[in-house]
Amino acid sequence: MIRITNNRLSLQQIMFELEDNSAGALSMFIGNVRNRGRSGHVSEIYYEAYSEMAEQKMREIENEAQTKWGIKKLVAIHRIGNIKVGESSIIIGVSSEHRHEAFEACKYIINNVKARVPIWKKEISKESQKWADGILLGIEKK
Amino acid sequence: MRSDIPDNDKIKVKLFAILRDRVGESEITITAPTGITVSHLNSEILKKYPQLKSFSNKFVTSVNCKVTTGDTIISSKDEIALLPPVSGG
Repeated sequence: MIRITNNRLSLQQIMFELEDNSAGALSMFIGNVRNRGRSGHVSEIYYEAYSEMAEQKMREIENEAQTKWGIKKLVAIHRIGNIKVGESSIIIGVSSEHRHEAFEACKYIINNVKARVPIWKKEISKESQKWADGILLGIEKK
Repeated sequence: MRSDIPDNDKIKVKLFAILRDRVGESEITITAPTGITVSHLNSEILKKYPQLKSFSNKFVTSVNCKVTTGDTIISSKDEIALLPPVSGG
């Protein structure tokens, strides 16, 4: 299950979605807004997505992780809009039979979300607002 | 219609993040000859919005949610977007 949302992320809800009695392992990655960015102090981050494409890419990544590790359940939710320091911008949760698959899939998903999903962040402080440097997407189709 | 005058398409282009900020709009419309390529469209965009020239090698173009090569032919039916470097997560 993947989604982009404007709402605050609920760890409890995600844990509920990951419940699976055949899974012996559950791995999570939680990305939080921190108080320092490349340009100094940060009070909040504004996240923006090309939602249709972002959900499509996240679904592709989900399918790849499913194929590689045969995981039981997967939840990846990216929040957009203004997110304050300490709040979560992304939560990825993977349940699998054993820990290795859960760890590896979780790492694969966050690394690929960062590199392949059209989402942008602007670091905001009292003094300035600056779009973060990022990764240029690669060509997919001839 | 005279046959020596090419038909034009009105191509809508979505802009995101820093590109949208620089232009001040989240969607622009470019009038271009039918059968235009992505590269040609990008040149037309930079002509119409010179404030994007400094970003010319800092964005890619997606057609129907896929990042494509410059020689891809597009039409007004396609969903086009200019995507600066991504920084999600």
